[in-house]
Amino acid sequence: MKKQDNTYRKNFSLTIIFLVLISVTFIIALFVSYNLNVNYVENEFASKKIDVQEQTMKPYNNLFQNKIPEITSYQGFLDSASAAKYADSVFHNYNFVRRIVFYDVQIGNQKNSTVIKNKLGISINAIYQYWPKDGKVLGLRIWNTADEPDFDQMASKLSNYITLSDTAHGSSQDEIFRSFYDVKPGKISYSNILRREDVKILRALQKHPNSSSFAKQNMMTFFLTPDLLKVKNTHKELYRDVTIQPVVYDPPDNQAGNLITEAPLPGAFSDYKLYFKSGPDYLTTEINRRFMPIAALVLLIYCFLVLIGWLIYRNLSINIKLFKLQYDFINNFTHEFKTPVSVIKIAGSNLSGDSELSERQRKQYGRILNEEADKLNELMNKLLSFTQLENKSINIKREEIDIENFVKGYMETFRLKYPDFKISYNVHGVDPLYTDPVFLGSIFQNLIENAYKYSHPQKKELYINVSHSKRNIIFSFRDRGIGIQKDELTNVFKKFYRVENQYNQNGSAGLGLAFCKELVNFMGGEIIVNSKVNEGSEFIVTLPYEN
Amino acid sequence: MLKHFRILLLIYAITVLCACKQKAAPIPVIDFFRTPEKVSYRISPDGKYISYLKPYKDKQNLFIQSLEDGKERMATSFTDYSIRGDYFWTYNNEIVFFQDIITVDEIRMFALDVSTLKTQVIISPKKVRIAMIGRDKHEPDVVTIRMNKRDSANFDIYKLNIKTKELNPYLVNPGNITQWFPDADGKIRLVRASDGVDETILYRPNDKAPFKPIIANNFKTSVKPIAFTGVGNYFLALSNVNRDKSALVEINAEDGKEHKVIFASNNADIQDYQYSKNKHKIELVTWDAAKPQKHFLDPEIKLIYDKLSTELKGNEINIADRDSAENKFIIITYTDRNPGSYYLYEKNIGKLTKLGDINPDLKPDELCTMQPISYKASDGMTINGYLTLPLGSATTNLPLVVMPHDGPFGHNGWGYNPEVQFLANRGYAVFLVNYRGSTGFGKAFYSAGFKEVGGKIQQDITDGVNWLIQNKTANPKKIAIFGGGFGGFSALYGVSFHPDMYNCAIVQHGLINFFTYIKDAPPFLKPLVQMTYERVGNPETDANQLRAISPVFNISKIRVPLLIFQGARDDRANISELNQFVRELQKQNGNDKVKYFLKPRERTFFRSQTNRMEMYAEIEKFLDENMRVKP
Repeated sequence: MKKQDNTYRKNFSLTIIFLVLISVTFIIALFVSYNLNVNYVENEFASKKIDVQEQTMKPYNNLFQNKIPEITSYQGFLDSASAAKYADSVFHNYNFVRRIVFYDVQIGNQKNSTVIKNKLGISINAIYQYWPKDGKVLGLRIWNTADEPDFDQMASKLSNYITLSDTAHGSSQDEIFRSFYDVKPGKISYSNILRREDVKILRALQKHPNSSSFAKQNMMTFFLTPDLLKVKNTHKELYRDVTIQPVVYDPPDNQAGNLITEAPLPGAFSDYKLYFKSGPDYLTTEINRRFMPIAALVLLIYCFLVLIGWLIYRNLSINIKLFKLQYDFINNFTHEFKTPVSVIKIAGSNLSGDSELSERQRKQYGRILNEEADKLNELMNKLLSFTQLENKSINIKREEIDIENFVKGYMETFRLKYPDFKISYNVHGVDPLYTDPVFLGSIFQNLIENAYKYSHPQKKELYINVSHSKRNIIFSFRDRGIGIQKDELTNVFKKFYRVENQYNQNGSAGLGLAFCKELVNFMGGEIIVNSKVNEGSEFIVTLPYEN
Repeated sequence: MLKHFRILLLIYAITVLCACKQKAAPIPVIDFFRTPEKVSYRISPDGKYISYLKPYKDKQNLFIQSLEDGKERMATSFTDYSIRGDYFWTYNNEIVFFQDIITVDEIRMFALDVSTLKTQVIISPKKVRIAMIGRDKHEPDVVTIRMNKRDSANFDIYKLNIKTKELNPYLVNPGNITQWFPDADGKIRLVRASDGVDETILYRPNDKAPFKPIIANNFKTSVKPIAFTGVGNYFLALSNVNRDKSALVEINAEDGKEHKVIFASNNADIQDYQYSKNKHKIELVTWDAAKPQKHFLDPEIKLIYDKLSTELKGNEINIADRDSAENKFIIITYTDRNPGSYYLYEKNIGKLTKLGDINPDLKPDELCTMQPISYKASDGMTINGYLTLPLGSATTNLPLVVMPHDGPFGHNGWGYNPEVQFLANRGYAVFLVNYRGSTGFGKAFYSAGFKEVGGKIQQDITDGVNWLIQNKTANPKKIAIFGGGFGGFSALYGVSFHPDMYNCAIVQHGLINFFTYIKDAPPFLKPLVQMTYERVGNPETDANQLRAISPVFNISKIRVPLLIFQGARDDRANISELNQFVRELQKQNGNDKVKYFLKPRERTFFRSQTNRMEMYAEIEKFLDENMRVKP
């Protein structure tokens, strides 16, 4: 008994350890995932600004990569009217372009050119300025062409390109960018890109120093303002406030503990930066928002683990009970076998010890041996048939039974067996039953035997009542014995289960009721028990007439 | 039931077999575009040898075949650079040839002694171009060459002695002479000066006298001198001065006046001629009507041609070279279904020997006939063209590939065309069209194309396709357009403005911007600028029109699948502009609908065989994918 208690206790502590362990893991998991989440969000705060910058700069990049190079397609043939049309399309699509200055340029042998290199002069034929107003483009010719630093810069680049570029192999992208673009804070200057053929022609032009011919070239300077650039905050959850600020902008007062990051703007906007600001609570809200599903998931996993743990625990405890039952069975069965075996042993040794046997002695020993052998046989039969029953490998041998005679027979037998056993019965209005007498007999045997066994010596009484209801026959065995405790009621029909008390210290395998239940079930009926401690129990067996 | 099924199966099997028979087996791409094995056949002046170029270790080398024993000998074994195709025999039976050492930009001029097969370098100047322009029978060792040694922009004329390697300047170019017309004795009395457009013919009575201009032409008229007749100061020329179509005329060199018309065709310009230096006689003139036509002016030559045409029935025949005695001739033949063969003809014994095929892999039976067609454009003008139908019995509802030519002031002629044959072999009907502005049909037709790019020129192409749809030749749901240069523009224009007509377009070195095209005229060449303005448009006054038709400004109109090929070293292409154009198209239509092949080492036309094969394989795949059903 002590051993079993130990097993129980061990199991319980394991369970506790398990629960504690997974609870700790759960808390750690929550803690770690929260921290990771905090890190992740903070990292995103620092890194996602590139997305915002990219989206904000999209129109600028579009202008730079697609719209401006379109000038090259005109091959220098733009004039004030077509340039105005071009400027209109620029203002229409890119509102951050404040104005455009268009230089109608001539490359030739002019003596009074602004830039003269290798006999090739680059000069301004006309300058026009365009700016948008109320959705329309306004233009103005600028007559003073003397002081144009943008033009001078571009002209000298152009002149270098004409002189130095390799017409045999073509120019690299880098060379083209250096020669035809000039990107300064607030403005982009561009002149149409010369092909190798153009360069060849221009070089040939140098060989005609007296020719008054010239090649046309277009140059444009785009003045941009960041004020009209629309900030596209694609990560509103991270940045509460995104503004365009000058590069030097750095407000010293940050008492609120705001989170701040910045991204420089490219190209012509390089004087400016994107300034990202978020309040401390702003990010916490975002962190919590992102943490919720993670926490829910961790909780779900935790619950799942607990459930699994509980299932394992339940499984384990059932196994322990089973183990205990089997242990009892072996214990009790051994005892049960032991009694007849020891009787046989005594009879045997008496037989061999006594030199001469009287007739009475011989008969007595013979009877004892016979009876004890029968007991052993019965025990083994019980065990065998029980296994058979469990495996459903026996057949019912039906025959007609007259219930009254049947009950009488058993009553007589037990009166003989236990003279102090008061058995009474009542059978009324039942039809003969059509079933296996051996099975029914086993049920009677067991129930009557139990009634005797579990009664106080002075109160060994049993009342058998047989009645019928509709299609069933009902056998009721009521004793005035010790009764069964309420919590044991469900267990009494279990295999190898014995109620622990003084009446079954030996000679019971705990099979009897289980066997009865198996038999009744096998016969298609059912068995129930009502009991009160110290008042008695009533076993009711209900069997169908037909099955 | 089973019986019916069997019959059905049988019918199906027969149908499939018939279908297979109708369709020609596809010929590998490489067979159409392979470089010929033997090219540039020449015969020695003494008639004892024929020479040709043949690859040796992938480089063209000179081979000589003796006509006495028929033995072939390899005369050179260069493995670094090929021998140029313009080699020639001197009257002393030596071969003079050139090698272009590209890496160091050097031209090597060699002389080869045929008897010993020894070669020696005559001259090897750097950074110049040399070409032979005349040989003199009386001074067999001296050849007249042009070379730009003094000034890289101008060619001067030199007399070069092959034996002594002595080089004497003969004519110094004042700067605008572009062509020289040497007499049979190597003297030059007639030259042509050009500023790129306007041409002047100049004449001098002898070497000591100065040249004086006798005829001035602009880009609308032309006079092509041939040779002096030997009678008075008359010279032969092809001229269209004061007439619509070029004719063979005699011109008085003293005053440039036309003396008489020798031959004129009333439906086409006389385009070429054959002149015998021995006899100082023009033998025949040729022109392109629906098919190439000849008119013989010399009965002896006519006899030869008559004999040859009975032996080589159905072939176009030309004399490629002849010996001094005019007994042995190298003949080249071709048809629309045959890239051609070389023959040797010996007049005295009337024997014709085949020397070789230009492309022996192609069997004429497997190729397709090119039929001349003509139709009325929507404004009533007659437009000529050629239609090549794929082999097989089907002549209606065919998938069609339209191939407008480059130029636009160019010409499609009848004959073997590998691209046409390749496409026809793949099952497409191929349509070539000489839209207005095309040359060869006279001045009026030519000038009808002026300022009609993106206008009536394009309408002529569209009318042609509609005509083919109406007469049921073309399947209106399967039409592609394919061209290079201006043809590429026509393709892009077609798919921009007639998107329902074409399934897809293929563009080689395409013209995508007319401002670029116009800018090719150097500003100091005023006549050329003038010509461009007059023929195509003035970028200032016609800016709106040019902008409206240039594909680069009309990207949004192009929606069909495109296949674009471009060599990155194409001088006239603006690669950054084209890249931008393709990028925009890809952004608009999706990457898989705009396939772009930019080959870094190629110029206008792809030279590398690998690139060419890849190009045609891509074209085949592209047409295959896009000509199934109209999307």
